[in-house]
Amino acid sequence: MKASWLKAIVITTVVLLGLSMAQKLTFWHYWDGANGQVLQGLIERYQKEHPGVTIEAVFVPGGELLTKLQTAITAKQTPIMAISDLVAMPLLTQSGSLAPLDDFIRQSNLNLADYFPGPLVYGMYQGKRYSLPVSASDLGLFWNKNLFRQAGLDPNRPPRNWDELLRYAKQIKEKTGKWGIELFTQGGEGTTWQTQVYFWGAGAEFLNANNTAPAFNSPQGVRALQFLVDLAQKDKVAPIAPWGLFGRGEAAMVMDGSWMTQFFPQQVNFELGSAPFPYPAGGRPATNMGGEQIFIFQNADAATAKAAWDFINWFSSTPVQVEWDRGTGFLPVRRSVANDPAYRAWVSNARPLMRPFVDSMAFARPRPPVARYPQISDIFAKYVQEALLGRLSPKDALERAAQEVAPLLR
Amino acid sequence: MPKPWKAVLIHLLLAGGAFLSAMPFLWMLTTALKPESALYQPPLLFPVHFEWENFAKAWQAAPFPRFFLNSAVMTVGIVLAQTLLSAMAGYAFARMRFVGRDLLFFGVLGTMMIPFPVTLIPSFLVVNALGWIDTYNALIIPRAVSAFAIFLFRQFFLSLPRELEEAALIDGAGRLTIFFRIVLPLSTPVMAANAIFSFLFAWNDFLWPLIVTNSPDMRTVQVGLAMFQGQYGVFWTLLSAAATIVTLPAVLAFLAAQRQFIAGITNTGLKE
Amino acid sequence: MNGVRLQPTSTAVHRGWRRTLGELPSALLFLLPTVAVLGTFNFYPALYSLYLSLFEWNGLSPHREFVGLANYTRLLASGEFWNSLRVTLLYAGGVTLLALALGLLVAVLLNQPIRGQALYRVLYFLPVITPTVASGVVWKYLFDPTQGVVNRGLAEVGLEGPSWLSDPSWALVAVIVVGVWKRVGFNMVVYLAALQGIPKTYYEAAQLDGADSWQQFRHITLPLLAPTTFFLVVTALIDAFQVFDLVYVMTSGGPLGSTDVLGYYLYRQGFRYSELGFASAVAYVMFALIFLVTVIQFRLTRGGQDDA
Repeated sequence: MKASWLKAIVITTVVLLGLSMAQKLTFWHYWDGANGQVLQGLIERYQKEHPGVTIEAVFVPGGELLTKLQTAITAKQTPIMAISDLVAMPLLTQSGSLAPLDDFIRQSNLNLADYFPGPLVYGMYQGKRYSLPVSASDLGLFWNKNLFRQAGLDPNRPPRNWDELLRYAKQIKEKTGKWGIELFTQGGEGTTWQTQVYFWGAGAEFLNANNTAPAFNSPQGVRALQFLVDLAQKDKVAPIAPWGLFGRGEAAMVMDGSWMTQFFPQQVNFELGSAPFPYPAGGRPATNMGGEQIFIFQNADAATAKAAWDFINWFSSTPVQVEWDRGTGFLPVRRSVANDPAYRAWVSNARPLMRPFVDSMAFARPRPPVARYPQISDIFAKYVQEALLGRLSPKDALERAAQEVAPLLR
Repeated sequence: MPKPWKAVLIHLLLAGGAFLSAMPFLWMLTTALKPESALYQPPLLFPVHFEWENFAKAWQAAPFPRFFLNSAVMTVGIVLAQTLLSAMAGYAFARMRFVGRDLLFFGVLGTMMIPFPVTLIPSFLVVNALGWIDTYNALIIPRAVSAFAIFLFRQFFLSLPRELEEAALIDGAGRLTIFFRIVLPLSTPVMAANAIFSFLFAWNDFLWPLIVTNSPDMRTVQVGLAMFQGQYGVFWTLLSAAATIVTLPAVLAFLAAQRQFIAGITNTGLKE
Repeated sequence: MNGVRLQPTSTAVHRGWRRTLGELPSALLFLLPTVAVLGTFNFYPALYSLYLSLFEWNGLSPHREFVGLANYTRLLASGEFWNSLRVTLLYAGGVTLLALALGLLVAVLLNQPIRGQALYRVLYFLPVITPTVASGVVWKYLFDPTQGVVNRGLAEVGLEGPSWLSDPSWALVAVIVVGVWKRVGFNMVVYLAALQGIPKTYYEAAQLDGADSWQQFRHITLPLLAPTTFFLVVTALIDAFQVFDLVYVMTSGGPLGSTDVLGYYLYRQGFRYSELGFASAVAYVMFALIFLVTVIQFRLTRGGQDDA
């Protein structure tokens, strides 16, 4: 009797163990190059520490990941886990194909309060959380110290506010003949997400508080757009031209992303500085934010979902995130990572240009998490272009953009 | 007979256009040989840097041998199938009389006019229902027939003189015999042209192979190239090196095929 | 239509049952694989997409909302769509005609025994082979307002060039130039292949009659290339109506929609905005337009066929 009981327990345990040991978790991501290698390294360590769990990381080019997810979801052939650019998260959470993470978060005591507020805005739908931020990036100011010197400016003193920005830009144009600042004037999301930084800095909002109506057509918004239009049209210190002048030494300042702290130093032949992006007197510090979120698909069975969560929980932990951010140059999504002494030492020693970007995460703002954001962004960018080209006044441009955006939010 | 000044003029004209045509390709080559630090220097047409390492780095950045194998299998399959099946269909449309011919032909043409993006999901569902995800079947069979190629062959056959076929028909030869014995041997130039286009279509195809494969073992060279065009900027030097390697087979294929443009009907004995 | 065109000599083969059924049995044999593959992987998905055009669907949601013809009415009421149509017609017309003429010119020149023939052929075909990203980068640089070769050249002759890709009035011109550049090599190859099909005897006969080379081109080459020209015009229009990657790389449809061709418009709706139902409606309107143009061409030229 006793022996058979024992036998049964042993067999059951072995079977259960065997089941849990045979976990294979497919994971779609778009982290290319060095980022992909860092991910692979972490996965291999995780597999070593968790025998029986295999994580098959599959690279899908970033531009096609959403399309691939669409076909996979429609045909019910989803992987177990995936990441996405945060802009696509509202579409994904509303698709009904992601698994809610709240219970897992509670069971694992994952401290969401440790996360920066910006990235956490994504992944929520009908009061439930479906994704977690795993990487971030933001925008800041880069300047060309050589051109600053040539223009008789202090090469180590970036502009602190818009008045200084304009004054510096004029002086550079006058003394060196180069452009003062490069704006992204080619439209689309590139124009929108840079312009949002000026808007937020001036105290304007993009959409209203519950994302049901446009808010950029406020007096503060008009002021911000007027500032950009003046840079291009009145003071002529910013060109309306294809992107890339800063890298070629044709423009002295530019707003660009934290990832460029890795690329610029290898690519440009001048001395670089970086700083949080300036905001006007009476305004507030602001930057825009990008990054990726990780999630689990709903049609994974309970054991598989749990195994996937265990990996996500491990990947999200402070020590692993420190390692991840050091290897990839992504910005921390958690305060405990940003304040980690080893991480801070690494930034100071290896990536001093990244320091202002890490600090800016505290006030980095998310783009509104609405499903139709890409459309709204294109409309907004189109009217910003209209204003930059001098075809519409900033006020008219923003009013007309608001008229077109409003129906998309209803 | 051509006067010397006329030949010089023609060469000048041709060389000017050829230079313009080759420029971006040359840029790709010189960028592939640039160090990262020279990226923002003006584009070059002739290399001054020789960073051969870029090629090694690019080659190692992705499992390219496997990608090349997959692309080769897919491309050979598509080129062979498209050339044979499209030539047959094009011949039927050009020479045979049967009810519904023009209607069917317009149907074939029509498939070219539906933009691919909107048929992507339904096509994927078909391939998924057949259980072909992650197989060479999915890469080859849905593209084994090309409306474009059928159209190309049809138009070529229309411009072929009919005498030989007519004679053979009167002698009682079947359509298959005529097609394989008489028509195909006359068609090397158009088969060569179509082979080039089929090759380029298959070799450069990106979205469909990406959508119908999940396993890294089934991916093709174009997906490899996408790895250098990341979310956070393009690795231009490595991308150019990889693109040069990936484009090379296309150049070689063209070189091989263009020789066929001097063959053709002039050598087939069809002379009065 | 021309003296040198040889007419079919046999009528005997068209007698009897062939009159009614035609050559259906052997045609079936020749067309079976085509019909099977196109039917499964083209016709069915196309019909499915037509069905989707009656829904509002983002490609992800389990719910598809039936909206009837609302996508079509919305499309026809959209200023963006009409702008795209106008841009597309300009692009299609420009690229088709210019590339056709240049392609024929190059093909005729390279069909002669000329020194460096093979090299020229490869060079002219390179734009077709060169990855679009590489072409985009170089052309963007050539059209750069200050550094670019185009404007520097214009400055040499005392003209101030526009800022091309950033100027709503000039961006489309620049994109058309690149479109032509990319298409000439393709047209050249098809014309070269077709030129091989013209028997030398035709030219020999014409020379005996004292025709000069222009007359030979006009009365032998051009008419015999008619089916090929028809093919090139139709495929060029189809491609131009769907062009996407070139615009994506060079201008992303801007500035201010001045290069927002239908192919790019469709991409935005389908992939960027995930409006698959609406994108399907766009696709079907595009289909109707191209199909109509093709049928008209076919009727006008009888498809380049002389016995249709």
